[in-house]
Amino acid sequence: MSNPNYAKPGDYKLGALMVIAAAREVRDKEIAFAGTGLPMVGIMAAMRMHAPNAHLVYEAGTTDSMPISLPSSVGGPRCGHKAAVISGMADVFGMLQSGWVDLGFLGGAEIDKYGNVNCTAMGDYKHPTARFPGAGGNPDINALAKRTVYIMVQQKRRFSEQVSYATSPGWRVKWWDKDGKMEWKSRREVYGKRFGGGPSAVITDMAVFRFDEETGIMYLDTVHPGRTIEDVKNNVGFDLDVSRCLGETPPPTYEQLDLLYNEIDPEGIFLP
Amino acid sequence: MKSKKQISIQEAAAEIKNGDAVIVAGFVLWRKPMAIVYEMVRQQKRDLQLLGANPGVDCDILIGAGCVKIYESNYVGHELFGKIGNNFARAVMAGTIICEDYGHYHGVLRLEAAAMGVPFLPSFSCLGTDLLNPEYDMLGQAGLRDGSNPRIPREKFKIVTDSFYGDGNVVLVPAARADVCIAHVQQVGDRGTVRIDGQRFADIEAMKAAGKVIVMAEEIVPEEVLRQDPAANVLAGFRVDAIVECPFGGHPGGVYGCYDADGAFLSNYNDNGSRTQEDFDKFAQEWIYDIKSHDEYLDKVGASKLMNLRANSSLKWSTRVKRGVR
Repeated sequence: MSNPNYAKPGDYKLGALMVIAAAREVRDKEIAFAGTGLPMVGIMAAMRMHAPNAHLVYEAGTTDSMPISLPSSVGGPRCGHKAAVISGMADVFGMLQSGWVDLGFLGGAEIDKYGNVNCTAMGDYKHPTARFPGAGGNPDINALAKRTVYIMVQQKRRFSEQVSYATSPGWRVKWWDKDGKMEWKSRREVYGKRFGGGPSAVITDMAVFRFDEETGIMYLDTVHPGRTIEDVKNNVGFDLDVSRCLGETPPPTYEQLDLLYNEIDPEGIFLP
Repeated sequence: MKSKKQISIQEAAAEIKNGDAVIVAGFVLWRKPMAIVYEMVRQQKRDLQLLGANPGVDCDILIGAGCVKIYESNYVGHELFGKIGNNFARAVMAGTIICEDYGHYHGVLRLEAAAMGVPFLPSFSCLGTDLLNPEYDMLGQAGLRDGSNPRIPREKFKIVTDSFYGDGNVVLVPAARADVCIAHVQQVGDRGTVRIDGQRFADIEAMKAAGKVIVMAEEIVPEEVLRQDPAANVLAGFRVDAIVECPFGGHPGGVYGCYDADGAFLSNYNDNGSRTQEDFDKFAQEWIYDIKSHDEYLDKVGASKLMNLRANSSLKWSTRVKRGVR
């Protein structure tokens, strides 16, 4: 698109901007693992935009499906439409573990600057102040896919110096020696020959973040229209590197909005 | 046609004893044997050890009704219809259940190990996370890993170094050896052969991981019909202890090719039927204790609602159910 027809402020909702930002992370011909919600909308959008040859995998057991009706769950009947294979979880997780999956989209309740994500509990794990559903496939996808993209809510208490419980591994991870003593190690060291990549981007309702390739530390990439760098800094609980900010996140185009609301989610399931 | 293996929902639930290690097959809100789960609540099962890879509304209801002592899995929620299993979250925070967290793939591998008859299986997942934090072995902390209970392994996990290919750190997770598995599928033969249509989730492994297998199906069909296409079957009848016929037995969850999940029911359960123990007790009174049979349950849900959930036979999902806001 040489001259994109960007939607004007007020003509689109934040959810649409986030989904299109997620869709931009998908590259053509990639094998992508989709979770329930905005991630599946993002991948389906990408497949109608710039990545028509991407392959969609659902955790509950479908490979390379071509949904014509938006699934409301990764285990639902709409996931199987025109799939190459319908199988089970041992099959798709095995594919993930053997290095086939390029990209996974995930959520989480809390994230730290190294991309460790908490989907388990707040406070002391043994006596939590809040309990979440638990890991699901989050650590599996984050450990074993080449890139993962998080879609999260931007709040200071959710962007922490250190997460209460590291459910899903970032670029610096916890490691315990034989005596149970914990130390922080680089992800590369812990995964060794099996290292394949890691958290690549975080998309929130305020901004897009990425991770430094050397240090594994999160930095600000773009800020959504209507938000400032200060807004973002005020909603991050650690010292955020904003020096590499490229400016505004591009809004969706009118064509993309038409795609999202009239073709992918006409029922208004994830994009009300 | 009355099969020798066929039992009632009440008899199926009665096969599950207090203290049993139980796997409820299915996936979060799909192909869950809900009619048996409801009956387990009515029969007031106690001290269950819930294993399995894909808990959802089944697990949340069993916990809310006080049936569960130990939970070993990776997720309790209702996906789009409720982010967290409320009864589960309350029980973990109050310490009324022992919660052993695993990752999803490890949950699958634990079933697969049991299905294969081996004590453990390896993987690379979850390295560098608190799921493998030795301090967070909750069954160990409770003093239950002394080897005296054959359903509780002596360790939550073990990390070893690969000596075959030099692949580095490898996590071993123990088999999930269950007493009973209850599953819900589209069709079972009158001699017990199991047919699953659509995603199998971890159900084949789950059924093979248990000492006793009870399969509920939308319909019991002549065995000969299933044997015309054996490649579509997933378990031989001689491995199935009992079968139950129960149309719409997965409600409020869905069944591929048969009916969609009842999103409105699940959202209402999440918002009004489980936020507090009192909310849940009211829900359980109305939808479980006050209901005498599955027929009465279906009558209460209502014929038109069930028809709207019914799958289009060609597409495999409902084209009539209202899912979103448009």
